[in-house]
Amino acid sequence: MGVTATTSWRPTDTDEVAAALADARAADQAVEIRGAGSVLDRLPGGDEPTITTRGLDGIVAHVPEDLIVTVRAGTLVRELAGELAAHGQECPIEPIGEDGATVGGRLATALAGPRQLGAGRVRDWVLRVRFVTGGGRAATAGGVTVKDVTGYDLCRLMTGSWGTLGIITEVTLKLRPVPRHPRWFATEAPDPQVFRRLYRPAAVVTTAARTHVLLEDHPDDTAAQAAAAGLAPAESPVLPATARAALDPAAVAGFLAEVGREEIGPDGTLEVASQDQLGLCHLDGTAGAIRTARAVAERHGGRLLVLDPALGVPAFGPGHGPGPLTRRVAAALDPDARLAPWRWER
Amino acid sequence: MLRRRQRAAGPSGAHAPRHGDVGEDRSLTPAETAVLERLRAVLDTTGLQAGLRTGHFGRATYRRDASFLNADPLAVALPQTIEQTAAVLRACREHGIPVTPRAAGTGLAGGATPTGEGGARPVVISVARMDRLRELDVANRRAWVEPGLVNARLGRAAAAHGLRFAPDPASQLAATLGGNVATNAGGIHVLTYGVMSQHVLAVELMDLEGEVHLLDGRAPEQGGLDLRGVSVGSEGTLGVVVGACLRLLPAPPAVGTLLAGFPSLEAAAATVAALVTSERLPDAIELMDARAIELVEGYAQAGYPQHAAAVLLIEYEGLPAGVTEGVATAARLAAEHGASEVIPAADAAQRARIWKGRKAVAGAIAKQAPDFYLQDVVVPRSRLGEMLDAVVAIGEREGLTILNVVHAGDGNLHPFVLFDRREPAMLERVFAAGHDIVATALRLDGTVTGEHGVGIEKRDFLGQVFDEDDLAVQKAVRDALEPTRLANPDKVLPTTVGCLEARMVPEGAWV
Ligand SMILES: Cc1cc2nc3c(=O)[nH]c(=O)nc-3n(C[C@H](O)[C@H](O)[C@H](O)COP(=O)(O)OP(=O)(O)OC[C@H]3O[C@@H](n4cnc5c(N)ncnc54)[C@H](O)[C@@H]3O)c2cc1C
Repeated sequence: MGVTATTSWRPTDTDEVAAALADARAADQAVEIRGAGSVLDRLPGGDEPTITTRGLDGIVAHVPEDLIVTVRAGTLVRELAGELAAHGQECPIEPIGEDGATVGGRLATALAGPRQLGAGRVRDWVLRVRFVTGGGRAATAGGVTVKDVTGYDLCRLMTGSWGTLGIITEVTLKLRPVPRHPRWFATEAPDPQVFRRLYRPAAVVTTAARTHVLLEDHPDDTAAQAAAAGLAPAESPVLPATARAALDPAAVAGFLAEVGREEIGPDGTLEVASQDQLGLCHLDGTAGAIRTARAVAERHGGRLLVLDPALGVPAFGPGHGPGPLTRRVAAALDPDARLAPWRWER
Repeated sequence: MLRRRQRAAGPSGAHAPRHGDVGEDRSLTPAETAVLERLRAVLDTTGLQAGLRTGHFGRATYRRDASFLNADPLAVALPQTIEQTAAVLRACREHGIPVTPRAAGTGLAGGATPTGEGGARPVVISVARMDRLRELDVANRRAWVEPGLVNARLGRAAAAHGLRFAPDPASQLAATLGGNVATNAGGIHVLTYGVMSQHVLAVELMDLEGEVHLLDGRAPEQGGLDLRGVSVGSEGTLGVVVGACLRLLPAPPAVGTLLAGFPSLEAAAATVAALVTSERLPDAIELMDARAIELVEGYAQAGYPQHAAAVLLIEYEGLPAGVTEGVATAARLAAEHGASEVIPAADAAQRARIWKGRKAVAGAIAKQAPDFYLQDVVVPRSRLGEMLDAVVAIGEREGLTILNVVHAGDGNLHPFVLFDRREPAMLERVFAAGHDIVATALRLDGTVTGEHGVGIEKRDFLGQVFDEDDLAVQKAVRDALEPTRLANPDKVLPTTVGCLEARMVPEGAWV
């Protein structure tokens, strides 16, 4: 296959993934790996050679009594969720926003949803990953049991690797029963510390107007918790989606205080919703304000991702750049920098 | 391979010329002599609290962990500070001497056994003296610890603030948090809380140049590659864990515990499957078979039903209504699957007694048999019944007493093989049984270790779990992170193919 700037491959199995990579190597091209585009469409770029995972579709095995599911990487998260819900189960790594993410993309970006506060990180739900490295090796890491310390934990390495080490082709996830009684509540005024009056809430999001809390417990427990913490039933919060700053939770208060004080330009606007205990802030704002917020986040040891190419601010900041150990690992698995070498520069 | 171990394990070199080291009982290579010289400059060599041990007796207690695999180290270094640790590693690195990181030595896979590639004798670097709780950050619910801090000590410190550290390996009174990080330890309550890695927010990993890398996972996303995750469970092969930031959770307001006795293993296993697919997952499901029940009852008087073929210990934690509902559901499911007795713990004292039985297994065994060999395999939960039957059959075939203690909710079996090593040909039978247990788990889509680690013991099984490409990728990652190949070499990844039995069998004197 001749490779042009708009070449794209739609492999349907591991061999075809390896073949696509071999094509790219033959033409000395680097490639982007694309799921449904729910994140990539919000990054600058878009005309590079692409391997799409959508041809790697479908649930491979779901054994409800094992509480695990194996699914091919191009399957939409919502399709998977539908299959699981039919058995009263879930994997609490729901997509961010309304767009249809693929399971592979969800893992590769590992962006945190609000329920990651109670449910743990995306990486904690991944039991096995099959992938093809940038160097063209098809490999499996992990296994189909919920506990497994056989070899290095490369599942966690692949989770959050942003398509730079390998192409994820299949994933085995840990499941849990769907909470039967999820309910959103809110305080009257913003109060992220309401968290301290609750036992392990599922999510806590503070907007300019109030703090929203998701409780998923037994209805009697939820009622008692809500009453004790002064919560009233509410809608789920709508989160700003232009940018997201990830920080050590201990640094969030400092970040918010400083962002509030910083100069954001004469026409600047900035709206922030924070998940303080998770360490995540969601932002909408003008370019100057977002740039300022990024600088503040990085000063606090955090990183800020911009998910709106129209803003004219690079998606990734200086802090996202790989450190020396990361470079070594990337060079080991993707020696010719075949996979999205531009990732952190856009 | 066999020959090499014999050299490393036996008191060889007794007649060799001494190299000026008082108490030196073996011949040293120039590099070994040079490295000892460097270590003497860094660590105190005298007295009971010596930070460097090179003599026969000083080395003897560091020949093995809690497994049966043992070897003679070049020396034992017990640094008290990060700076000393760095100096030790740098000295070893410069002279090409391997290092075996070690903490409490409760590991069961030979991970802390000082073997080196090609018969090289490693320096054991024990982190046991770096055991401070650096910071208990109550507001942010986390703790910075030094690697030698014992797991239970963190638990106690956290409890004073209404917090808890979830990973609770049965060895938690002795095992350290550094060892727990290095092995990705599990425990009883990992069913819903997850194994160690889920509770490790950041790792300070020291490489062989003595440089500390902060592998930070405190932010929820955008943190770059999860090298923290790779370092957890790396069994000392990527360097030395010199610090960690660990997540603490609020102590649960309510706890409900249930003890259920069953007339058969199948009935107990079927109850586990029903619990796992029920509307609320218990926080712990432990299974013990008839032999284990009998043994601990005589020892701990935990109140287990005496004629049951199996008991399940089921626990729910959290808010009171949910816990009450969970316990009621579990009692109903146990009864539906033929439980002969269902005993909910009426109060904290009864709950403590129920758990005492589970935690007393190793102690009770010590009263019954001179030796035990503890296996660790995992199968998908739906295959648990099949796996338990197979273990029973293997015990019968080899004429061995095998007790089953199972983290049933996770499908993680810990068969204890009881034996007396003085009986002729006994070890061969024990290891044959161990080998069959592992092979059976593999056949049932399971894996060779769920929490104890690969170390040396399970290393040669990796070729049955992973194919060549899988292992090549693992090796590429290891070599990228630890290019010197001096950190606990000979562990985790197989070096050559085959010779499995030979490596399972311990050689040399047993300490
Ligand atoms: C009776 C009994 C019950 C047990 N129950 C459980 C259980 O329920 N769950 C469970 O998971 N395990 C269990 N274990 C196994 C063992 O306790 C764990 O593997 C534990 O995590 C080991 O900790 P340690 O401090 O003893 O480490 P060690 O045994 O000293 O070392 C273990 C491994 O980690 C490496 N290592 C240690 N410290 C460091 C460091 N600072 N940096 C780098 N590498 C290091 C060593 O090289 C070795 O490979 C049990 C063991 C016994 C004897």
